[in-house]
Order: sequence, then structure tokens, then C-alpha cells
Amino acid sequence: FRCDVTTRSSCGSPPFTSFQLPLFFYLPVDSVGHAPEPFPILSLADFLSEVVAPTSLPTARFSSVPELFGVPALDLQRLSGLSRTDVQLLLSAAAATCRPHPAVSAVNYGGLASNLRLSVGCPVLDQLLRGGLPVGGVTELSGESAAGKTQLALQLCLSVQLPVQYRGLGSGAVYVCTEGSFPVTRLYQLISEQPRLRTDVPESVVTSLRFSDQIYVEHAADLDSLQACLSRRVPLLLARGLVRLVVLDSVAALFRSQFQADDWLERNRQILRLGAKLQQLTSDFNSVVLVINQVTDVFDSSNRTGPVMPQVVPALGLSWSNQVLIRLMMRRLQRSVHRGHQRSAVRQLVVEFAPHLSRGGQEAAVWREGVRGLVTVSHGQDET
Amino acid sequence: MQRSLLSLPLNFSLRNKLFNAGFRVIADLQRLTDSELIHEAGVSQQDVLELLQAVRGEGGDAWSSSTSLELLQKEGESRSIVSFCSQLDEALSGGVPVGKITEVCGTPGVGKTQLCLQVAVDVQIPPCFGGLGGHVIFVDTEGGFLLQRIEDIAAAVVRHCSLLVEDDEQREGILTFTVETILSNIYVVRCNDYIEVLAQLHLLPDFLLEHPRTCLLVIDSVACPFRHIEVVSQRTQLLQSLGLQLTNLAIRYNLAVLVTNHMTTRLQGSQSQLVPALGELWGHAPTIRLLLQWLNSQRVAIVVKSPDHMEAIVQYQITSDGLRDVDESV
Repeated sequence: FRCDVTTRSSCGSPPFTSFQLPLFFYLPVDSVGHAPEPFPILSLADFLSEVVAPTSLPTARFSSVPELFGVPALDLQRLSGLSRTDVQLLLSAAAATCRPHPAVSAVNYGGLASNLRLSVGCPVLDQLLRGGLPVGGVTELSGESAAGKTQLALQLCLSVQLPVQYRGLGSGAVYVCTEGSFPVTRLYQLISEQPRLRTDVPESVVTSLRFSDQIYVEHAADLDSLQACLSRRVPLLLARGLVRLVVLDSVAALFRSQFQADDWLERNRQILRLGAKLQQLTSDFNSVVLVINQVTDVFDSSNRTGPVMPQVVPALGLSWSNQVLIRLMMRRLQRSVHRGHQRSAVRQLVVEFAPHLSRGGQEAAVWREGVRGLVTVSHGQDET
Repeated sequence: MQRSLLSLPLNFSLRNKLFNAGFRVIADLQRLTDSELIHEAGVSQQDVLELLQAVRGEGGDAWSSSTSLELLQKEGESRSIVSFCSQLDEALSGGVPVGKITEVCGTPGVGKTQLCLQVAVDVQIPPCFGGLGGHVIFVDTEGGFLLQRIEDIAAAVVRHCSLLVEDDEQREGILTFTVETILSNIYVVRCNDYIEVLAQLHLLPDFLLEHPRTCLLVIDSVACPFRHIEVVSQRTQLLQSLGLQLTNLAIRYNLAVLVTNHMTTRLQGSQSQLVPALGELWGHAPTIRLLLQWLNSQRVAIVVKSPDHMEAIVQYQITSDGLRDVDESV
């Protein structure tokens, strides 16, 4: 029985040459049949030397343990010269090191972060969303200009800072601007009016928070700088627990200017890459990610996305929609509503799709203290 | 019987000893008794036990042929999971079948995750009510498994079954069929990329040993992690081996495998068309393919691929209780 060693294993042990035995290995007892403790992240060389006797696996091809899954098992068999069962055992050991968290019974899911909701700041709107925005998926808010999307996003940046018992997340927010400047004046106005908006929270709690200190503003003018920002600065803020809300305002702007009509392949690839990045941020750090999008007119009426044919749809098309967990739209209606000396055009916040929400809408208005849902009273007059 | 000893999953030293003693194939071991083997190869009693286990374990895979009649009978006994939309169940002659891969495609928001959640609850209906009483492993790659929704669906199914109670067996069955037990039998794994999905599938046989009543594997969605692989050739290879792995799991462990897929636009000349994502090669993996879409103002499910059924278009709706038929009165 000859085995030819093609490359020398980088773990430093002598290669097997013209030995009578082929190469095989034994598994550490833990990785078969038991849920192991999370393994420390091993480099491929350490993994091979700890788990596996020297093999002919070309370690130049694989630089880390997860990459063993990047090729089909048959290829691994061919590359390493191990038998089918041996390759299965190798992959089982590798799977044990890079497995996700072990399967959790849904009855224990309630204690996890996936059950957290970030309140929007108004109980009427929270009712539409069954608590607020969830953690673990990307929420998109789209609408025409001046519909009130930025208003709602700013309000979320403040409500995230309240403690968890008041349906916040007890942490800050990072606001990534891609077009125009950050609306600083409006933010300060909202901060000063916050006790008026959050009547459900004791005033002492609201006034004791220094809201502006925990809002981090980033600017990204093009896709590359956005990717850099989302890969470096934002994960740092999230990892340190300084923020738990990421707002991207807005996503369409970057794609509209940068790509020509023919570049749709590259455009799609960039959209997928951005979507993957945002999903990674939301699930790795248990954070809420809100993406603001613009709308475009409907040209092609053949592909329906709902029971009613809309006039406008969120921009960036199907490849972006596939990556969104919750889609909300904000519309500006023709009516307006009065309250004291203030006047506001009526908006409508609509749930287009969400796994846990029924399709529906709620009217709202934008006041000095923020966005509030409108409750229609029986005699037909709108009240806040 | 001519199977080489070296292909068995034995430990290093045992293999060494057997090899040095001159044993090459399983047939060589047969003519010896335990004590003779211990003496000749210098192995311990524990080693012999391990060897026997390995041989027997692998021997179960030996080919056994069956006639078509036997297969037909087995098909007749094969079970399906209802979806609570009776028209859809009729179109699939029973529901989501066990032992096969069913794929659900559709645009975002049309109801793919809802169908997965509904089936994950329905598979647990006790046998006394006509269900399978099985457990679920749910691989969530998009974050769509939200507790609020699964609680709604579970509560509605429990309500439905409690209205059907007629005899003592069902009365006993309904006592253990509650929202809490339903939730405790769904095992959720949140995977962030394709490597975690593949790792989880590799560890699935161990999981199934610990939870033998599992009979449904849901992957929601399979498109999300695999579409992020940028090198197309790697993606196709991985999807092909994923398809084989899922088919193996479905057949060997008698699981119903339910996967969801996205839609993508394909350009043919100047026309664009919506097709399931992940390519043509992946399309061969699932046995049954359901396409969910909006038709006028209705949700419809189209059975586009099935070896046993005609292409059928079925209307359904999604209520606060889950997936249901469209009322005739509407």
C-alpha cells in the first residue's frame, strides 16, 4: 500500500514516504455525538496537527478550517488521497469547529435577542409593528422625498437610547449619511422635545440621558467608502456596545449615480455584497439595521408584488428586495391635520411585508416633537 | 465482504494492529472467533467490540434490491405533511412529502416563510389527529423565524385540533399538544453564511441520533447564503454537492426537506423573465417545486415541478392564523 505525499504538511512533521500504511486519523472524542464547547478558532495547520495525522492535504490551497467546506467532499477526497469515510470524519471535525451556535429549541428563543423590539417612539405606530423593529434582519423604510423617512430615523436614534424596559436597547446609534448633510438642527429640536413625545417614560429618565453623545454620524459618498465604513468603523462601534442601531440614509443614492445602464451585472453584485454586509452586522451584533430607500415609478406592470398595483416601488429592484426582512413604506397624503398652532401633512406608514406582521397601514403626522400615529376618533376628527 | 478494512471508521492503533496482523478485507475476519482475533492481532476485547460495531454499522449500507412493486407499496405508505390549505394539499396529494426535497420559490413577501412556519407546526400534529407527530430542525439564514408569528400559528392549530376532539385517544393527545410543546420541538439554528449551513448539515446525522423523532428539515432560505458566493464555478459545485447531501439526508433518515429560494431576473434577448435563483443545475435537486406569486390581487401557488402531479394553480391566503384556503364566500 503506497501513498504518495504531494506536499509537506506545514505543521512540521516528517512526510510519510513509501510507508506501508495509508494516511488516516482519529477523532477527538468530543466531536462525535456530543454538542462540544465552542472550539477556539484554530488555524488550518493547528487543526490538521491536532485532529489529523499528517496528511497530504495541500495546505497551500486552504488557509483556514472553514475553507475545507468550500470544496465538495469528492474534491477533498481527491486532493488528500483519503477514503470517503475519512473525509467525512475530517469534515465532521471541521464542522464542529466552525459550526454556528447549536440548535436552540424555539421555546427557549424567547430569552434571546431575536425577541427584542426597538420601539419607534409612538405607541400607535408600535402597535402596527407589534412592538417595534426587530433585531436580526434588515428593515427597509422607503418613500418619496419629504415623506418623513428621515424624521422617523432620527426618532429611532433617540428611542434606542432608552433602557430596555422602555422598549429601547440602552445603547447608541450610528447614522450613515450618503447624501446631503446630517440634519443636526432637527435632531436637537427632537432632543429638547423628547419628554413631550415619550409620555410613557418618567421625565427623570429622559432628561438624564445625553442623547447627542450617543449618536455617531458617518458620511459615505460612494460605495467603496460605504463598504469601508461598514467593515471597519461600524463593527467597532457595535462590538464595543456603543451602538445597537445602524441607520443607512439612503441606499439608493449610491447606486443611481455610479452605474451605467450596461453595468447591471456589477451593480447587482455590489447590491448583494452590501446586503450581505448589512445582514452580517445585524446578526453578529444583535443590532437593528434600518435602511432608507427611495422610490421609482413603476414601468413594468407584469410582476406584481402585492394585491394592489402600486404607482411607485422601492428602488434597486429584486436583488435588493430579496435581502430585506421587513419592508415599510411611508407615504405623504394630500390631507393635513391641525393641532394647536401646528400643522402637518398626514403621512401613512405601511407594512409592505414582514414575517410577523400583516399588511396594513397607520396614519401619522410629523410634529415638532416627532412622528406620531394618528388615532381617528369616532366623530371623524383626527387627534394625536 | 471484499470491503477493505481500511475504509471502516476505526481508530489509528486498532487499524495498525489489524493491518500488521495481515487482515485486509472484512471477509478475513469472519472465520475467526473473538478470542482468536484477540490473540492473533493483539487487540483488546474493547477493540473487538468496536470493530464489530463498525462492521455491522457499515454492513447496513450493503445494497439490497427491491422490486418496483415493493417500491410502489412503500410509496403508498409514505406520509405527507398538511399545510392547512386544503387545495394545496390536494394538488400535492397530501401535502409536503416525507423523503423528498420540496422547494418553494417566490418574490419577497409572497409567503415562503409563512409556508415554512405553517408546515413546521403541522408536522407536529399528533397521529391521533392524522398528523405525523414529528419534530423539526429549522435552519434560518435570513432571520425570518420570529417567535411572535410561530406562536400565532401554533395557537391556531391547537385551537383547530381541540375543536375536532371526538374520542378518548384524541382527548389524551390534545393534552400534550400545546403551544409550548410545539415550540419545544422546533430546533432553530441561525446560520450567517454558507459555511455555517454546510457545517450544520454535516453535523445533522449526530443531531438526528439525539432527536430520532425529527422528520422535517427546513432551510429558509437556501438562496441567501449561496448567492453571496462570488465565484460562479465554486457556487455551482457547492450547490450540486448540497443537492446530493440533502437528497441523501431525505432518503436515509426519512426526512421531509423543505427549502425556500429567491427569484431572479433572467434576460432573454430583450425580454426579462422571473426565474428561481441559484441556476439550472440546482433546479434538478428538488423533487417538487412550488412557485408562489401574486396573480391579479390573489396569492397563488403553482406546482411547477412534480413527478407525480400535474401542473396546478391553487389560490391561498395568509391570515393571522397562518396559511389557509381562500374562502369560497369571498
